[in-house]
Amino acid sequence: MSNTDEKNIHHGEPEIDELTKNRFLGGHEYDGIRELDNKLPSWWVWLFIITVVFSAVYLLGYQVAGWWPSQKAEYEKEMAQLAEMKKSAPQNNVDVATMLPLADAASLDAGKETFKKICSTCHGMNGQGLVGPDMTDEYWIHGDSLNNKVTIQDLYKVVITGVLEKGMISYKDQLSPVQIQQVLSYIISLQGTKPAGAKAPQGRKYDKFG
Amino acid sequence: MELQKFYYDNKIVRLFAYATILWGVVGMLVGLLAALQIMFPVLNFGLEFTTYGRVRPLHTNAVIFAFVGNGIFTGVYYSLQRLLKARMFSDVLSRIHFWGWQLIIVLAAVTLLAGFTTGKEYAELEWPIDILIAGIWVVFGWNMMGTILKRRVKHIYVAIWFYIATFVTVAVLHIVNSIEIPWSIMKSYSLFAGVQDALVQWWYGHNAVAFFLTTPYLGLMYYFVPKAANRPVYSYKLSIIHFWALIFLYIWAGPHHLLYTSLPDWAQALGTVFSIMLIAPSWGGMINGLLTLRGVWDKVREEPVLKFFVVAITAYGMSTFEGPMLSLKNINAISHYTNWTIGHVHIGALGWNGFLTFGMLYFLIPKMFNTKLHSIKLANLHFWIGTLGILFYSIPMYWAGWTEASMWKQFNPTGDLVYPNYLEIVTQIMPMHYMRAFGGLLYYTGLLILVYNVVKTVKAGSFVKEEAAEAYALAKEGKRGSGEGFHRFLERKPVRFMIFAIVAILIGGIVEIIPTYLIKSNIPIIATVKPYSPLELHGRDIYIKEGCYNCHSQMIRPFRSETERYGEYSKSGEFVYDHPFQFGSKRTGPDLAREGVKSGKIYKPDSWHYNHMMDPQKMNSQSIMPKYPWLANKSIDMGSTAAKIRVMQYLGVPYPEGYDLKANDDLKVQATAIADGLKASGIDVASDKEIIALIAYLQRLGTDIMDSPAALTK
Repeated sequence: MSNTDEKNIHHGEPEIDELTKNRFLGGHEYDGIRELDNKLPSWWVWLFIITVVFSAVYLLGYQVAGWWPSQKAEYEKEMAQLAEMKKSAPQNNVDVATMLPLADAASLDAGKETFKKICSTCHGMNGQGLVGPDMTDEYWIHGDSLNNKVTIQDLYKVVITGVLEKGMISYKDQLSPVQIQQVLSYIISLQGTKPAGAKAPQGRKYDKFG
Repeated sequence: MELQKFYYDNKIVRLFAYATILWGVVGMLVGLLAALQIMFPVLNFGLEFTTYGRVRPLHTNAVIFAFVGNGIFTGVYYSLQRLLKARMFSDVLSRIHFWGWQLIIVLAAVTLLAGFTTGKEYAELEWPIDILIAGIWVVFGWNMMGTILKRRVKHIYVAIWFYIATFVTVAVLHIVNSIEIPWSIMKSYSLFAGVQDALVQWWYGHNAVAFFLTTPYLGLMYYFVPKAANRPVYSYKLSIIHFWALIFLYIWAGPHHLLYTSLPDWAQALGTVFSIMLIAPSWGGMINGLLTLRGVWDKVREEPVLKFFVVAITAYGMSTFEGPMLSLKNINAISHYTNWTIGHVHIGALGWNGFLTFGMLYFLIPKMFNTKLHSIKLANLHFWIGTLGILFYSIPMYWAGWTEASMWKQFNPTGDLVYPNYLEIVTQIMPMHYMRAFGGLLYYTGLLILVYNVVKTVKAGSFVKEEAAEAYALAKEGKRGSGEGFHRFLERKPVRFMIFAIVAILIGGIVEIIPTYLIKSNIPIIATVKPYSPLELHGRDIYIKEGCYNCHSQMIRPFRSETERYGEYSKSGEFVYDHPFQFGSKRTGPDLAREGVKSGKIYKPDSWHYNHMMDPQKMNSQSIMPKYPWLANKSIDMGSTAAKIRVMQYLGVPYPEGYDLKANDDLKVQATAIADGLKASGIDVASDKEIIALIAYLQRLGTDIMDSPAALTK
């Protein structure tokens, strides 16, 4: 037992573990658990040394010598690349003044996708209106009341400037002009679809639309 | 020397073992519920007490502190007595420890579901319970050190080194991270604010993993693996080196939870390098565990206890390699806030902690009941179903994490986000949530098999309450002898050992935390950042109470994918009045740090917030957020406004002198304006309802520096 601890040490030859041929440590026995006198595995020691060297180099490179960028510098570089991307992107500009609703399936599909992703949050998945007004009826808030008509240009303006006091933000940074044209074309195509759960009319009725 | 007869106290071990099983059954069931709530929001039951924001902290607290906690105590009370050839120091302390700990667990369950939370992960319990925890923890340590001092074995074995390190470090971590100033009998504000609070919290949170889930379990491994295999420990030298390296290095690694946040770069770098340096010390434990089985691998094939141990140690090796990898900036940029982290922690929790506990129980219970395990076959079944459960749990979570990160970060050639709608990403990973829940169910089924097997074993056996043992009294310990190695000497000087351990664990924390207080440039002051209005402060408390931080972060990292989605990245100076911080660690839903910025990308009107809180699925049918209808019925607790303001003033938040008494006037003005605005949008809600305060808070988020562009350039 344990109190015979130190005696074992002087018992001549160290005891050897039968199964592994490793040396036992004399006097190391705890509730029957003994300990072997194995050295640290050399691969383990090297692993430890490598991680320490890595750490020293890491701290030197990031914090002292400045070999590698700070997170702020990384961000600035990333944003510069993004600006470059946006600049060199195919010009999605359309002439707003002469813009007309699109009717081709590809554009309407793209518009539908944008609508579901962004607009549906406030205007409902089917344009029936939630927090925002119903997009499918003949009632509009931001129309040209002098001429009793609502054009795609009127709606374009709403998307670009937003209606902050009502909670609609500007989407000029999130949607390209073509994307806006597509989504507005889709909205125009919803006219008269009478989706379930449509919100009560808001604004005034316009005779001409689109 | 006289041969002394004495008895091991098995009753206390049995109590802790039963508690381990009970809380395992409860805590993992709550985990399963949380997993299902993500799939089916209806399982939030429309009750404030059962929403995900309260259920998830209950799960984490229950499995960490109740299941694993009782698992630690089971193993410690069993092994300590035998390793020291001594009964526990005091039966009374043992009982106080046991019942005190169970009381804490019950109080935790009740208060967490009732919405009393500090809002700091894994430290959610409020101040009265924190004090109780500290007291009971001291009882545990006192009982343990008392037993060590009256031992009949000259040297303390490596398992006990780990127990000592656990005791002292958990005490330090818990006390420092829980320093909070109460404003009511159940509520308090953290002493620390913003980035400093985050640093202290993750110093704590990371080391809760280190010193609650790791070091005590390494101690258990060092006892139960050699015992069950009847083999010597591979290397004593390795034990020494990996023990001291582990406890010294671990304490520094906390900041890896805050990579790319507004924590100063130097602290982040320390978090990274100390995590990397932890690989070898962690693996030292794995090597010593696995190589102890050399020569008896044939036994592993037959003996379920050893099977559980082998998978546990392997899982430990995997998570302690993965952890450091996740601490590298480039990998963390992908993993952070995603389900990858959830996968990672469950390899550790289900594999290392769970399987080691199961193996230990299968070993202990037949021994204490002087019988054989009822069914080896069922234990094997548990092993296989549990292993499958771990795989079905973790692989889908890794997959989900990578999917989330890649969808967050993808840009079109035109420079726009491919997936600007967050809901699309949430929906995309839903199949992985299904698989994860299936994995959890498998693992849980295994646990129920254990329960059955244990009950049958207990019924068949006869419990040995008092296990007789004998040993010689310990001779008086002398000075360090010639030829006695220093560490060998230390092993027979447990108090000195403990002091060395305290020194080792204090250094890292001191070096990292104190400079963020003393060196002003670490958190640059932003003049436009003002304290919350009283209404916003109430709203913030509701945000914390409902556990919003469990799914929403408030920390935009400096990545173009985040600034394009959410707006300007977060600055450390924005959070100086945030007691506690609310950075969050997981984005089940989108980040909210710039939610209130009107010119921002994610702004929504008050009416949207109102409708969304009442019924998120009405706004977006695929949303998985719980409904919060009670927020429109419950009134703001205006009686507490003055006390809240006073505590904030005490913490250094610059409200004007005497503002505590005027705060409710301002509160009412702001609340009325919001209610009037809602009325104009057709929503009728009284201005004194909680929803008004929450909306006020959400609309304040991130606005301070966006109002004045000058503040940004600072």
